[in-house]
Amino acid sequence: MSASTVAEAENKASPATASDVVIETRNLGKIYRDFWGRKKVAALKALDIEVLKGEIFGLLGPNGSGKSTTIKLIQGLLFPTSGRAFVFGKDARDVTKNERIGYLPEESYLYKFLNAEETLDFYGRLFDMPAELRRERSEQLIKMVGLQHARRRQLKEYSKGMTRRIGLAQALINEPDLLILDEPTTGMDPIGSREMKDLIVRLRDEGKTILMCSHQLADVQDVCDRVAILHQGELRELGRVDSLLKVRDVTEVHTTQLSDATKAKIADLIRAEGGKVISMDNPTTTMEELFLDIVQDDRPGQRPSSKPAT
Amino acid sequence: MRIEPEQMWSYFEWLFYHYGLLQGVLVAVALAALGFIACYLISMARYGPGEGFYHVTRVIYELLARDLPRTSMRRIYALGRLAFQEAIRRRVLVVMAVFIVGVLFAGWFLDPSSDNVARLYISFVMTGTSYLVLLLGLFLSCFSLPADIKSKTIQTITTKPVRCTEIVIGRILGFTAVGTLLLAGMAFLSYQFVSRGINHEHEVKDMASDGMSGTTSYDAKHQHQFELIENEDGSMGGTTDEQKGHRHEVVVRDVDGQRVVTLGKPEGLLGARIPVFGSLQITDRSGNVGSGLNVGYESEYQKYIEGNSLMSAIWTFDGVYPGRFGGGDSLPLELSLKAFRTYKGDIVTGVQGEIILKNPDGRVESERRGFVVKEFAVDHIEIPRKISGSRDGQPVEVDIFDDLVSEDGQLQVVVRCKDNGQYFGMAQPDLYLRAGDSTFGWNMFKGFLGIWMQMVLVICLGVMFSTFLSGPVAMVATMTCLMLGFFGNLALDVATGDLPGGGPIESLIRMPLQTGAMVDLDLGNEVLETVIKGADQGIMYTLVSVFQAIPRFGQFNTADFVAYGFNISGGLVARHLTMTLAYFLLTSLIAYFFLKTRELAAA
Repeated sequence: MSASTVAEAENKASPATASDVVIETRNLGKIYRDFWGRKKVAALKALDIEVLKGEIFGLLGPNGSGKSTTIKLIQGLLFPTSGRAFVFGKDARDVTKNERIGYLPEESYLYKFLNAEETLDFYGRLFDMPAELRRERSEQLIKMVGLQHARRRQLKEYSKGMTRRIGLAQALINEPDLLILDEPTTGMDPIGSREMKDLIVRLRDEGKTILMCSHQLADVQDVCDRVAILHQGELRELGRVDSLLKVRDVTEVHTTQLSDATKAKIADLIRAEGGKVISMDNPTTTMEELFLDIVQDDRPGQRPSSKPAT
Repeated sequence: MRIEPEQMWSYFEWLFYHYGLLQGVLVAVALAALGFIACYLISMARYGPGEGFYHVTRVIYELLARDLPRTSMRRIYALGRLAFQEAIRRRVLVVMAVFIVGVLFAGWFLDPSSDNVARLYISFVMTGTSYLVLLLGLFLSCFSLPADIKSKTIQTITTKPVRCTEIVIGRILGFTAVGTLLLAGMAFLSYQFVSRGINHEHEVKDMASDGMSGTTSYDAKHQHQFELIENEDGSMGGTTDEQKGHRHEVVVRDVDGQRVVTLGKPEGLLGARIPVFGSLQITDRSGNVGSGLNVGYESEYQKYIEGNSLMSAIWTFDGVYPGRFGGGDSLPLELSLKAFRTYKGDIVTGVQGEIILKNPDGRVESERRGFVVKEFAVDHIEIPRKISGSRDGQPVEVDIFDDLVSEDGQLQVVVRCKDNGQYFGMAQPDLYLRAGDSTFGWNMFKGFLGIWMQMVLVICLGVMFSTFLSGPVAMVATMTCLMLGFFGNLALDVATGDLPGGGPIESLIRMPLQTGAMVDLDLGNEVLETVIKGADQGIMYTLVSVFQAIPRFGQFNTADFVAYGFNISGGLVARHLTMTLAYFLLTSLIAYFFLKTRELAAA
């Protein structure tokens, strides 16, 4: 995370005012019942969270932990068994809230018989956008997600990664203030995944609020400002990513160009001060970084140029 | 063809005088009340009495205060267009191909020697179109929404600012557009098929030695005889005799000093006569107003009058003005009466009757005009404007429009049977004044409009059921409505108890006991019988209410009008359109409530 991002994130630690709260759940619970009304499973239990304006909020948890249920409750696709959810201060079932929301579902549930242009035009119409604006936005978004070459192909011919891209484009058609992303990097290759994460951060920097759920821990760590960790429908942890991940009794120093002698001196000094050197070695990069370094420039096709415009 | 009394009502007669509006309002109110109670009970079971009431009233409030006022035409158009695209890309045009193939090969199976080829052809194309389009509407409307819910594509729509009203209306309109496109194509092909299929030509085969009569060639399984007459200007011409419901004009021309006789196109096959129906009153044997005789048929549709008695059938027509009858040189009337013979009589001559035109004031009437009843056919009688008659019993020449029509435009036509011991049977539409003809093409369009309205109703019902049922179940529910709508009269007779044998439980008991339907149920236990009959009453009352709410599809079928050459009146079309609109609103409303209260992500 960049220094500026950290600084911004630190600023968000201050108490939120009512106008800063984009999503709020109060004692939100959901019990799935069978046809006869008997309790089948408690998918979510008394969830209290607040998502603040301009942050990337991650919902983290294993399968069946209640992440998707929470997202569906927030959007009014499910009705809560207890508690309530508010988006922009409106009840989750109020349709008008959707005017400011973009939603990328887990599987990009789109109409396969439409092509990319028709898809964006259709969703643009649902936002009551005039024709000129729809055309303009469609053009921008198709370019942004790198689907210029496939704009006239029916979605049934798209690969999973391409489907995610057009799914993301439809979620952004209305320039939403709040973007809800359900497993946004699912089905994407490392480059696509990286681009998606860069885009998420960029959208946040533009002032949008992002709620995402994922079980890709690295993704969450990479982009989220705050996370809520759910397990078996219960909120187990909530807080800033950097503070949650911070190991308080270990100190990490990153420097460059140290000789072996200097390293030995530093180790001696630590020991003299009562500390314990756990390791002193060259760090490793991540597999993602390594992979991207290798393929970024050699990959055939339009990928490098199709990177999100900055 | 049997024309029901309600098909003769004008639009406003139906709406106000026959309580069409009131009925519609009552059905809507009853359904709204039932819907509210049902929703409240479900909501109460889920949330408790207080919160349940809050949820139900909130949905109503949202409909009235938010969703309806903010319904966007652009979103409806988008959703309708999507439904249209979906249908087209799912290859519904195959239906059109099936129709084209059917029409291409129909000529092999339709009998050109039939007495009325036009009727056969028209019935074939309109019935075929009707089945195809209704099936198409059924499949499109019942499976689309459940498929969207199952594939979760609906989630990308409901997470946009889309109202449930828009989803429902958009789908109905989209599928209607697909059906309309196909139906328009089928209607055009049907028109071409009928008009070209029955067209034929004859040549003169034999001429008599005097050159004034002849026989045509044998084409299209028939031939004609004709006679030529000399016109006032000295030219020759004429028409053939009527065969298979049509005639040909015979034209005589002089070509290079040679007399050439040619025959024109068939006339009278494709018509749309505009009938002016009157009200029917039957007098009894003493000449007083009565109800007619039943000669033993179960059907009460036609009543009979006895020959050589004071019994008569009196039709009173309104709005009889010369302008309505091509200027009023004559008054054309058509009748198709039944004859019931108590003895064989003169089978060649037939049963004889007489027609008298009367002014409703009773002072002026025409002379008696004899006719021989033509059974199973329409008899056309042209009465000249000036005819012999009487005024206050004194013989005078009377003018139909000036003397026999009252000041408020009323005219009475009295029909009597002259033969002793024979009877005439008639219903209200069996005698009418013929106010000219409409064009066949326009009439056929109105006939197809009836099919279109049936299709819209099926789509409305299909979309409504698909908001809360899975695709196959929604299809079964819609088909049930379709069956009840087509054969609703029998079902209604069972539900109202008009058919003997009691209600469903009583009938079930009668079957194993082999008890006759006409005797009272006797189980030897009065309490048990009372309980059974009480339960039956409850079931039958519910059934009647349900049947009343189901559209009667048969009513919308006006193909017979086209096939039998009757103009479909504007009033009838307007009434059907009003009913279609009412059902569209009603089903949309019900669909809205189901969709609004459904967890779309829970599927």
